[in-house]
Amino acid sequence: MPNQQGQDFLARFLAEQLAPGRPRVWRRIFLALLAIIALLGLIIPNHHPHFGLDGYAFFWPIFGLVMGLILIFVVKKIIQPLIKRPEDHYGDL
Amino acid sequence: MATSDFYHPSLAFLMMAVALPFLPGNRRWKWLLLLPPLAAIYAAFSNLDGDHFTLTWLGLSLKLGHLDPLSRVFSQVFAIMSLAGIIFSLHVNDKGQHMAALLYVTGGFGCLLAGDYLTLFIFWELMSLGSTFLVMLNRTRESVLAAFRYFLYHVAGGLLLLAGLLLRHYLTGSFDFGPIDPKGATYADWLILAGFCVNAAVVPLHAWLPDAYPRGTVTGSVFMCAYTTKTAVYVLARAFPGWEILALAGTIMAVYGVIYASMENNARRILSYHIVSQVGYMVAGIGVGTAMTLNGASAHAYAHILYKGLLFMSAGALLYSAGSQKLDELGGLASRLPWVMVCYMVAALSISGMPLFNGFVSKTMTIAGAAEAHRTWVALGLELAAVGTFISVGLKLPYFAFWGGKAPDPNRELKAIPLNMYLGMAFLALLCLAQGLYPQMLYKYLPYQEAVSDFIPWTPWNVIQALMLLGFSGLSFYLMRKVIEPHKALNLDFDWFYRLLGRGVLFLISRPLAAADNVWTVVWDKVGLRFLKALGALTSWFDRQAIDGLVDGSAQGVKGLGSLTALLQNGRLQHYLGLMVVLGLLIFAFFWYGF
Repeated sequence: MPNQQGQDFLARFLAEQLAPGRPRVWRRIFLALLAIIALLGLIIPNHHPHFGLDGYAFFWPIFGLVMGLILIFVVKKIIQPLIKRPEDHYGDL
Repeated sequence: MATSDFYHPSLAFLMMAVALPFLPGNRRWKWLLLLPPLAAIYAAFSNLDGDHFTLTWLGLSLKLGHLDPLSRVFSQVFAIMSLAGIIFSLHVNDKGQHMAALLYVTGGFGCLLAGDYLTLFIFWELMSLGSTFLVMLNRTRESVLAAFRYFLYHVAGGLLLLAGLLLRHYLTGSFDFGPIDPKGATYADWLILAGFCVNAAVVPLHAWLPDAYPRGTVTGSVFMCAYTTKTAVYVLARAFPGWEILALAGTIMAVYGVIYASMENNARRILSYHIVSQVGYMVAGIGVGTAMTLNGASAHAYAHILYKGLLFMSAGALLYSAGSQKLDELGGLASRLPWVMVCYMVAALSISGMPLFNGFVSKTMTIAGAAEAHRTWVALGLELAAVGTFISVGLKLPYFAFWGGKAPDPNRELKAIPLNMYLGMAFLALLCLAQGLYPQMLYKYLPYQEAVSDFIPWTPWNVIQALMLLGFSGLSFYLMRKVIEPHKALNLDFDWFYRLLGRGVLFLISRPLAAADNVWTVVWDKVGLRFLKALGALTSWFDRQAIDGLVDGSAQGVKGLGSLTALLQNGRLQHYLGLMVVLGLLIFAFFWYGF
């Protein structure tokens, strides 16, 4: 079954998701889920904060978003340009 | 190595490795490969704790079968992984690759059950040897060169361990392998720690790993990603719990691996950097050293072996089928390799610590343990690494490998993936899910049972905290997906220094040492050799004249007689006959007149 690529239901389903308009639906689902998660974070209490800041409701969403943005920016725009070399820099390919 | 209550799992692996070259070539031998892992799984669940097998050799006692709760949990997951790895590699016809894997696993189990440093060292080196061949047998120039570098590096690490254990024996008089108090540590302990840290890929000793693992065979790297670093985690947990420096080193590893993975283009190298990062969690847990974090480190090693094996399997399947592991050459494959994508995603969500999957129940335990022990910076560093893990393994790799904004190319030729590879992946994927859903499956085997109840993973807050962290780091990926797009490049790492060191040694040998050697050869030729010849002539003369003279000239006499009789042997038959007649007459006269 899995060997018949493009034949089974999963392959058909995945191919259909690339149709025009579908990616936008998925984006809306993703953003809606984020809103629900953030809302749940407001409702569900953290009974056991370890260090002051994580007692605030929005600490973890902000930590995830900001740290992710900083990480990608610093890595791709600052660190990689400094240490990037041609693929065969060492001559062992 | 087998008694009624103990069976050493290495035994069948070793026997199989030795027997394999002699089995007939009709490929039915492949089914025999399944026996050692099955025996190991049986042993992992049925062996009893204690010292089972001691070998006395050269006045030393080698403890080959030491089992306790810590080695038990590791040998369990090693056994399960060996079965998954063998299933995944059943289609491989190259006996050499199977032998290398079997020897490598033999070494892994040997290290786990070693009760003393000497036994540990023997199996430690066996692992280096086996894994070197798992890289080399990929049979490309790139892989062979990488295998040599890998071997050199591990030999150096092994020598640190050897020096440490010998010095430790000199200082303490024993090879006992147990916890070392950081307050009373000697330089020998630091050497052993350094040797362990090489295999644990502790930054900056880690660069061998992303160098070698992406260049191993598709199936070989699946074995390697499971055993070398986790054996090192096990020995660190046994000998160095509570060493504060490891908490720092582990946190650095966790973040460092993520940074490199975020810029890398090669799929299996991304996963390799994530071994550094994930092993960082375990090393940090060992460094904090509470019962909870040691449990966390063991649990995370267990979960990590399963999901990392699955990650290397699915990335390997991608390489096997599409012929490339570079993200910029992949893309648009989701609907062409859908089940590889599903298996990959199970592993990717596991490593990210997503609820439902096993990373969620193991990673959170380590982080919570660090926070409980008031190591806020360790806990925050590990959370940052979790963000980076989800971005690079959970999103970047699958996005650019399976979608990447590229339409599926129906003309792209894909090699059919054998059923056994799918079976191996499905086996691990099910285990990742099962452990996430039923954490007790994992927790009941943890070494410090008294601390297990201190942490409950499935609380509403833990679930929502993980979802918030991962969901919003996903948003950051979505916003920055153009920035993070990978391109062909080599990113300099600490192996730059290793290569510099290697080139330095090569230069030292090929230039100054070779030049000095040339000069010495000439000097030797002109002076030394002539002097030796003259000395030889002198001693030979002295031997003949002086020594022989002292023992009544017998040698000179024998020599003279020898030359005289040689004169008689001139090859003429009539002379010989004449001589015979003369001799006969002389003997006759002697007896006739003598008596």
